[in-house]
Amino acid sequence: METLSSANLVTARVAVDSVPDFINGGPVKVPCFNQPWKRVPQLESEEVHLIELRRRRKKMKEQKMGAEDNVPLDDKARRMRDLLSSFYAPDPSTNNAPSNPGTLDAINTSSFDADQYMNLLMQKSNLDELLQRHVEMAAEIKNIDTDLQMLVYENYSKFISATDAIKRMKSKIVGMEANMEELLDKIMSVQSKSDGVNTSLFEKRENIEKLHRTRNLLRKVQFIYDLPTRLGKCIESEAYVDAVKFYTGALPIFKAYGDSSFQDCKQASEEAISIIVKNLQRKLFSDSESIQARAEAAVLLKQLDFPVDSLQVKLLEKLEQSLGDLQLKTDYIENASMESNDHKLGKVPDSVHITAHEGSIHGFVEAISAFRVIFPDSEGHLIKLAQDLVVKHFETVEQCVKGRISCANLLVVLRTIWTDVLLVDEVLSEAVLPGFSLEAAQNALKQYVASTFNYLLHDISDALLRVNVSSKEAAEENPLQVALEASKKALLQGSMDVLLDFRQLLDDDLGLLVQLRDFVSDWVQEGFQDFFRALYDCFFLLSGRKSSSSQDQGLTAGAHGEKVLAGLVLVLSQLSVFIEQTAIPRITEEIAASFPGGGARGYENGPAFVPGVMCRIFRSAGERLLHHYINMRTQKVSTLLRKRFTTPNWVKHKEPREVHMFVDLFLQELKETASEVKQILPQGLERKHRRTDSNGSTASSRSNQLRDDKTNRSNTHRARSQLLETHLAKLFKQKVEIFTKVEHTQESVVTTTVKLCLKSLQEFVRLQTFNRSGFQQIQLDIQFLRTPLKETVEDEAAVDFLLDEVIVAASERCLDPIPLEPPILDRLIQAKLAKWNEKNPITP
Amino acid sequence: MQGGSSGIGYGLKYQARCISDVKADTDHTSFITGTLSLREENEVHLIRLSSGGTELICEGLFSHPNEIWDLASCPFDQRIFSTVFSTGESYGAAIWQIPELYGQLNSPQLERIASLDAHVGKINCVLWWPSGRHDKLISIDDENLFLWALDCSKKAAQVQSKQSSGMLHYLSGGAWDPHDINAVATTCESSVQFWDLRTMKKTNAIEHAHIHNANYDMKKNHILVTAEDESGIHIWDTRKPKSPIQELPGHTHWTWAVTCNPEYDGLILSAGTDSTVNLWMAPTSVEDEAITESIAESPAQQADPLLNSYSDYEDSVYGLAWSSREPWIFASLSYDGRVVVESIKPFLSRK
Repeated sequence: METLSSANLVTARVAVDSVPDFINGGPVKVPCFNQPWKRVPQLESEEVHLIELRRRRKKMKEQKMGAEDNVPLDDKARRMRDLLSSFYAPDPSTNNAPSNPGTLDAINTSSFDADQYMNLLMQKSNLDELLQRHVEMAAEIKNIDTDLQMLVYENYSKFISATDAIKRMKSKIVGMEANMEELLDKIMSVQSKSDGVNTSLFEKRENIEKLHRTRNLLRKVQFIYDLPTRLGKCIESEAYVDAVKFYTGALPIFKAYGDSSFQDCKQASEEAISIIVKNLQRKLFSDSESIQARAEAAVLLKQLDFPVDSLQVKLLEKLEQSLGDLQLKTDYIENASMESNDHKLGKVPDSVHITAHEGSIHGFVEAISAFRVIFPDSEGHLIKLAQDLVVKHFETVEQCVKGRISCANLLVVLRTIWTDVLLVDEVLSEAVLPGFSLEAAQNALKQYVASTFNYLLHDISDALLRVNVSSKEAAEENPLQVALEASKKALLQGSMDVLLDFRQLLDDDLGLLVQLRDFVSDWVQEGFQDFFRALYDCFFLLSGRKSSSSQDQGLTAGAHGEKVLAGLVLVLSQLSVFIEQTAIPRITEEIAASFPGGGARGYENGPAFVPGVMCRIFRSAGERLLHHYINMRTQKVSTLLRKRFTTPNWVKHKEPREVHMFVDLFLQELKETASEVKQILPQGLERKHRRTDSNGSTASSRSNQLRDDKTNRSNTHRARSQLLETHLAKLFKQKVEIFTKVEHTQESVVTTTVKLCLKSLQEFVRLQTFNRSGFQQIQLDIQFLRTPLKETVEDEAAVDFLLDEVIVAASERCLDPIPLEPPILDRLIQAKLAKWNEKNPITP
Repeated sequence: MQGGSSGIGYGLKYQARCISDVKADTDHTSFITGTLSLREENEVHLIRLSSGGTELICEGLFSHPNEIWDLASCPFDQRIFSTVFSTGESYGAAIWQIPELYGQLNSPQLERIASLDAHVGKINCVLWWPSGRHDKLISIDDENLFLWALDCSKKAAQVQSKQSSGMLHYLSGGAWDPHDINAVATTCESSVQFWDLRTMKKTNAIEHAHIHNANYDMKKNHILVTAEDESGIHIWDTRKPKSPIQELPGHTHWTWAVTCNPEYDGLILSAGTDSTVNLWMAPTSVEDEAITESIAESPAQQADPLLNSYSDYEDSVYGLAWSSREPWIFASLSYDGRVVVESIKPFLSRK
C-alpha cells in the first residue's frame, strides 16, 4: 500500500511537473539544472515495475519449493539461526527492516507483494536476466526448504531432551522435605539457649557499669580533695601551668558544690591559687625572668580570670618610666659629648655613654617585644610609647639646636636616635617610627639650619659691634679695619663653616638624613637667602637708618642707634661690597658644588637662593650705606657750619684778625673721615675728574670773575654788570660737576664729603648778609682752607671752584664787598699756619 | 636734561629766591616773583604764561624797596601779595597792592596796603590761608608767630595774637593747613610744630631735625610733606607724628623746597641746592608701601617714586610753585634769577 501510494504520488508529481513542458513546447529553453530533476520520475516508475516482477517470481519459487538442495553449508547454518531467532522473536514484523518496498530487494520484507515484484521484474529485465533470475530463485527456494526442514527437526529433538530432564527432576526431589524440618528444629534450640545465657549475664553487667561510674566519681572527688595539696606541690615545683590546669578543671565543680560539700577544699585550693597568682604576678613583673616565662605567666593569669588590664597598665607605666630613664640618658650623652668636644678630651667618654645608652635602648626594645608577646592587643599603647620616645628625643635635639650644637654632635645625636628608632621599629613596625621620626627630623633639621644662620648673623653683628667697644677704648691702631676684617672673616669663614656643616649632613649615610637630603639642600639655600636678607636688615638697623615699619625693633636698638658711629656705617658699606663681590659668588659656587639641586621645592617658586637678587640688594645697600656715611659726616660739618653762620651778627662783624676756628674743626672732621676711610676703603686709581661719571650735574661758575675781583675794587656799577658777565661766562665755561657718583674708594668718598660740605658752606653764606669785615673773614677762612683741602681731595678743580663759589656768594651777600689786601691775607694765613704747625707738629 | 627742553624760560635781572602762583587770577596762568639783590634796586615781576603756553610774558614790573626773601600772592585778590624783605640789617614784611595798569609798563609804584611791623628779629615768611578768602594772615619770624587781621579796604593790619615759639626753637618757616583754618605748622631746627590759632597753643610736634620746608597736601587731610637737609623728603600723617609714612630720597645736596600738587594726588615737586627739580610720585596706597619700603623686598615691585628730574638749572633752585589754574604746570626759580615753567603732562599719563 505504501509503495503504491508513494508511486502514485510520484507519478502525480511527474504529471504536474511535466505540464509546463507540454505547454511551453520545444522552443522554450529549460534551464539545465531542471533536467536531472525531470529524469527521476521515469526511473522510479521503472523501479516499481521491477518490484512487481520480483514478487511474481517469488510466487513461482514458492510453488517450486524443495526443488533445489545444494546450498553452501555455512550459509545454510546462518540462515537457520536467523530463521530460528525470527521465529522466537516476540514481534516478527519489526525484525525485517522495511527497505524500499518498490525495489527488488523487498523480497524479504513482510509487505512483499509478489505480483508487483513480478511485474517489476518483467518490465526491467530482459530474457537472459529473467532466466538467470529464475535459476537464482530456484536455488534460493531450495535452500529455504532445507532450512525449514532442519528447523522442525531441531525443535523436536530439543523438546524430547526437555521432557527427559523433567522426568529426572521429579524422581530426585522426593526425600528433601524431612531434612528441612530437622534443620529448623536445630536452629530453634540454638536460639533458646543463647537467650538463656544473655539473661543470666545481664544483671552482672549492669552491676559492673554502675561500679565503674562510681569509681570515676570517686576519682574526681579524690582529685578535688587532693587539689590543695597538689597545688601546693605545684607551687613548690613552680609547675604553674599544671596548677592552673588543675584548678580550672576543678572550677566547675567548685562552682556547683563549692558552697556545700567541698567548702574546705575550695577554700584551701583558692588560697593556693592566690599564692600562685601572686607568684605569677611577681614573675610577670620581674625583669630577670625570661620573656617566655613572663608571657606564660600573663597567659596563666588571664586563664585565672585575673584582671590583666590593670597589670598591663602597670607594666606600661613601668615601660614609660624606663623611657624616662632613656630620655635622661640621651640628655646626658649630649652633655657629655659637648663637654668632651669642649675639653678636647677625645671620644672616649662619648663612646662610653653611647654604649650605656645602647644598653638601655636594647632593654627598652626587649621590654617592648616582651610586652607585645605578653599583651598581644597592646599595640596602641606601645605605638604611643614609641612615638613619645621619638618626640622626646627630638625635643632634646631641639634644645641642643637652640644651644648651638655643632654639626658633628648633631650627627651623633641623630645617629643615636636613628639606631633607636630602627631598633624599636624592628619590634614594633606598626608604629611607623621611621616615618614619624623623619617628620620630626625634618623639623629639627629645619630649625637647625635656621638657628645656624641665626648664629652666623649674631657672629657677624657681634664682630661689627666690636667697633663700638674697641674704638671707645681706642687701644687699637685701626679699629675700623680690624672690625672690617673680623666681620669679613666671620662672614666668609662662618658661611663656609656652615656649608661644611651642612655638607656633613648631606654626606652622612644615615638613613634618616638620606631621605631628607633634598630638603636639606633646599633649606640651606633658603637659609642663605633669608640670612642675607636678615643681614641686610641688620646692616640698616646697625646703621641707625631704621625704617618706619621696623619701629618696634628700632626702639630696642634705638638707644644704641642714636650713637651709631659713622665708622661703623662705613664698615657696613664696605662689608656690603665685600658680600656682593666676594662672599656671594663664593657661596654660590660652594652651594652649586655641594648642594646639587633639591627638587623638593616646587619649581614655580623658583630656586631658593637667588644670588643675582642678593648681589643687587647688597650693591644698592653698599651704595646706600656709603651715602649714609657721607651724610653722617657732612651732617656733622653742617651743624658746625650752621652754628658758625647763624651765631654771629655778620652785619656788625669786626675786622678779621685770624682764621676762624671753625676751619680747624672742619679740617679735624675731614681728617677723621680720611683716617676712617683709609682704614677701610681701597685706594682709588689716581685720576682726574671725568665728566661721564657724573649723574646730576650742577653747573654754575662764576668763579673766574672772582679773580678779577681780587684786583679790582668793586663798585656799584660793576656789581650790576657782574650778573650779566657771569651769565656770559657760564655760556663759555665748561660745566664743573659737583655731584658725581660716589665710588668705594678713599678719594671718592673724601672728595664727595668735602664737596658736599663746601656746597653747604656756600648755601649758608647765601643766607646771610655780611658787612665788609664779615666778607673779609669768609675770604680769609676760605683762602686758608684752599691748601689743606687740595691736599686731601682728588678733584682739585671742583673743590677750587666750590671755594670760589663760597667767596662769590659772600661777596654777593656783602653790603660792601671789598676783599682783603693780599699781603694781609697772606700774613694772617701764615700766622694761622704757624699756629697750626705748633699744635700739630707731626702734620706736614 | 630731558625735561629741560620743554621748559619755558624767563630771566630776572638779579638773583631771586621766591616765586608764587597768582591763585586769584582765574583767567591766566600767572606767577609773581621778586628779586634778591642786596645792593641793587629790586623788582617784582608779574609773569603770565601766554595763551598758547609757549611763552612767558612780563605782565608787570614793579620796583620793590628792598631785597625780597619771601613772597606770597593773596589767594583771593590777584593784585595783592605779601613780601618779606631785608635791608641787609633789618627785616620787614608788608602787604602790597599792584596798581591798576593802564597800559604803562613803566615801573609804577606798588601800593603798600599794610606793613606787618611788629617783628623784631629776622622774618621768615608770611602765610595766607591757601583755600580761600580769609582775612587773617600769619607771619613767622625767628622766635614768634603772629596772627594778623587784615582789612584791605582800610589798608590796615593789626596783630591779633602772638605766640613765642619757646626757648631754643628758632622758627624757619611754616605752612597753613588748607583743610583747617585754625591749624598751622611751623618748622624749626629740630621739629615741626603744630599750632591751633584759636588758642595759640602748640597742639603737636614732629621731632625731626633740619626741616627746611613743609607743605600740606591740598587734597588729602592730615598729610604733610617736609623737606630736610640730608635725609630728603618725608611724608607725614599729622596724626601719627612718630614716624613718617613715607620717605623719598630727595636731592644730592639739600632739599630746599617741597610742594604738593593741588590737583593730582601724590604728585610732589621738590627743589634742591643740587640745581635740580624732582618730580615724585608718592604711591597711593601709603599704608602698604610703608611696610614694603623697609626692606627692598622686590625691587621690581617697588616702582621708582622719582618720575622725573629736571636738571637744566645753573644754580640752586629755591623757588617752586604749582599753578593752581593749570595744575600740570609749575614754575621754578633758580638763584641766578631764571624762571622756568614746565609742564608735567608727559608724566601724568603714567599714573
